[in-house]
Amino acid sequence: MILAQSAVFGLLIGSLYGLAAVGLTLVFGVLKILNVAHGELIMLGGYAAFWLFALWHVDPFVSVLPTGAALFLVGILLYRTLFGRLLRAGEETKLKNSILIGFGLALVLQTIALAAWTGDERAVTTSYAGGVLPLGGIVIPLARLGALAVAFVVVALLHVFLHHTYPGKAIRATAEDVDAASLAGIPVPAVFLTAFGLGSALAGVAGTLAAVTDTVSPSIGLAWTLKALIVVVLGGLGSVAGAFVAGCGLGVVESVSGILLGNAYREVVGLVLFLAVLAVRPRGLFARG
Amino acid sequence: MPASSDLLEARGLTKTFGGLRAVNELSFTVRAGEILGLLGPNGSGKTTVFNLIAGALAPDRGGVFLEGREITALAPHRRAALGIVRTFQLVRALPGLTVLDNVLVARLYGRVRAAGVREARTESLECLEFAGLAGLAARPAGALTLAERKRLEVARALAAGPRLLLLDEPAAGLNPTEVAALLALFRRIRAGGVTIVIVEHNVGAIRDLCDRIVVLNAGRKIAEGPPRETLEHAGVVEVYLGAP
Amino acid sequence: MDRRTLPSAALAAAALAAAALLPAMTGSRAVLSWTFLVLLYVALAQSWNVLGGFGGQVNLGHAALFGVGAVTTRLLWTGGTPIALALPAGTALAAVTGAVIGAPALRLRGPYFAIGTLAVAEICRITAGNVLPDIAALPPQALAAYTLAPRYYLALGLAALTTAVAAWIAGARFGRGLVAVREDEDVAESVGVDAYGHTLIAFVISAALAGAAGGVFAYYHVGFYPSFAFSPLWTFDPLLIVYLGGVGTVAGPIVGAIVFLALREALALRLGELHLLIFGVLFIAIVVALPGGIVQAVRDVIDRPRAIRTTEVTSTS
Repeated sequence: MILAQSAVFGLLIGSLYGLAAVGLTLVFGVLKILNVAHGELIMLGGYAAFWLFALWHVDPFVSVLPTGAALFLVGILLYRTLFGRLLRAGEETKLKNSILIGFGLALVLQTIALAAWTGDERAVTTSYAGGVLPLGGIVIPLARLGALAVAFVVVALLHVFLHHTYPGKAIRATAEDVDAASLAGIPVPAVFLTAFGLGSALAGVAGTLAAVTDTVSPSIGLAWTLKALIVVVLGGLGSVAGAFVAGCGLGVVESVSGILLGNAYREVVGLVLFLAVLAVRPRGLFARG
Repeated sequence: MPASSDLLEARGLTKTFGGLRAVNELSFTVRAGEILGLLGPNGSGKTTVFNLIAGALAPDRGGVFLEGREITALAPHRRAALGIVRTFQLVRALPGLTVLDNVLVARLYGRVRAAGVREARTESLECLEFAGLAGLAARPAGALTLAERKRLEVARALAAGPRLLLLDEPAAGLNPTEVAALLALFRRIRAGGVTIVIVEHNVGAIRDLCDRIVVLNAGRKIAEGPPRETLEHAGVVEVYLGAP
Repeated sequence: MDRRTLPSAALAAAALAAAALLPAMTGSRAVLSWTFLVLLYVALAQSWNVLGGFGGQVNLGHAALFGVGAVTTRLLWTGGTPIALALPAGTALAAVTGAVIGAPALRLRGPYFAIGTLAVAEICRITAGNVLPDIAALPPQALAAYTLAPRYYLALGLAALTTAVAAWIAGARFGRGLVAVREDEDVAESVGVDAYGHTLIAFVISAALAGAAGGVFAYYHVGFYPSFAFSPLWTFDPLLIVYLGGVGTVAGPIVGAIVFLALREALALRLGELHLLIFGVLFIAIVVALPGGIVQAVRDVIDRPRAIRTTEVTSTS
């Protein structure tokens, strides 16, 4: 029973891992770059949710929308000033440079956040935060359940967008073959811009939910980025569905490991599993081609 | 029946990608000292054959033999050490290095290995001269014209001391003057004792240069023989122009 | 070594000679401590540069090798082994760790290699934090006998050694093969270079040197926090230094270390944590605008008059 409880808990946590990874994998799939400052964008989303709540009592589940929109704009700004410049280089160089630029950007964002908001840990505690939903013998925290619901809905909406709307299909076509998409008349630069903005917006949403279920401080970026990177690779670079599923899976694995091996090694199991997957399938579990 | 003057033998090579059989039970030999042309329409498997001979790909079935000795399991760098050197379809110079440094690596690691870096430098300069690139030694390879970069690839391949040189569409993208100069270079290379297999779309170049040609279609060999007669073979014409 | 690397190497030698003479010229503890740090960072940056610069493989798990060297050396030394044996032992163990990590990791393509090594380093950091004590203080005799001089010269020796290794790589056959693999692995293989073998050797060399740096670090500090030796700081600081100074060059890590630590010293006092902002912006600027770092910038300035002269000659002919 303890295991079942921990598995459910892991699923709740994992849904956030998945959401965090989806933005990163979308950007990679379309632009073939890795924004390792993704965790810092999540951090910014978390702060946005916190301040909206602290100053104007906006419920975090509502502030998902404005935060997502704000981070979309941030993403566009970052693309215009930084990441857009990378795209002319060859594949390996582009990827390497994106990792390096992301690293510098992470440093900048982290320091700005530290200067603006101090290193104190922040969290959003709503009135219903302590509530739980008993299901069978398992206790489900309401806030985390809400986060799972929002994460799932967002990813589902993204899936519908990518598969059943014209802009979404244009994005997928560009991800599949950028030259063919260009020849077919798809405005590739606009697609790149949109995809990067979307990826950042998704990070913002993940950050909002993280503010509810976790704490936010300037230094959380690196941990989130690492988690997202691992989930992205597990799910297959570029696969949105794969990332979400892998994220949920990782959450369950971590949680159950924590029970079986003790909290100190909770994360190690996930990392070792990640390395094992890389060894056997060097391109992730769900990668295509 | 493979003869003792055969330098290379491809025996029953088969390679499948996904559902597509790119090379299908392909067998042919390359005689020492000849220039063999490999022709076929796009998608007929020519570059795959090169990759199989050079070791960049492993065949699903069949084998590659160098002077009777099986080399199918050898990695590309080991085959280079034995004297099989290839150029690339999309010219790949090392753009961040100078022209000389591009060639220098080959002289240090190829079948003919210089005694040290200093000797390698001198010998690499000779290879550059042979390929007509003397004077460009200090220039960054990225600053060369397409024709010059193709010569650089050839110079680099030569520096490795090849016995078998695999040229993948060397004439692509060049004007007729540049092509003629390149063909002259290849004849000089063969005169130096190097066997050449060349993949080309430029049929005129093939006709002038090659001793024999092998024609592929959909991964199979459909014709083989001296250029003139083979090109007039009905099956070959059909493959290029469509059935009458 | 060709004509182009000679000035760079000469500069490096001069810098190290100056560092050797410093203790004779000043007794200031602050100056010597700062210079010690520069020398340590030079060694650490050179070690990352072997694989990251010359080899072209971005290793984000460098801290793990530093940590292994540091912890091994510290445990042996405080346990009674003389430093002359403890340090090589730490170096050797770091080299072995490098081989163990590198052998499978180098089968992975670029981004997967980077993320994979990052994951390995995280595993090491978490495990070290769980298994090792929080702090390893010096036993009283060692504390009483502590002087800066041997640490300083050890760091100097290591900085010189790592620079010499870099210079060797820049000119020797192995290094040319390694650089060719970095530029284009398929091309390198086509002329006889064993790409996997070369990058693996580079990884082990890089690991050994990083472990040695870790050992010197462990020897220097009175209060030593074992899990701190595995902090990602020991990956990202040398990375920043190498790119700042000039990735893939011999003098780059030296120039970068001096500029990095001088800037940090100057800025941290006035700006506090904000100095990291400057570094972040600087780093981005380098990657975007000046990928060859400070060394490249200097070379461009030096070469410009020569380029102008050449065009003048050709235009009059």
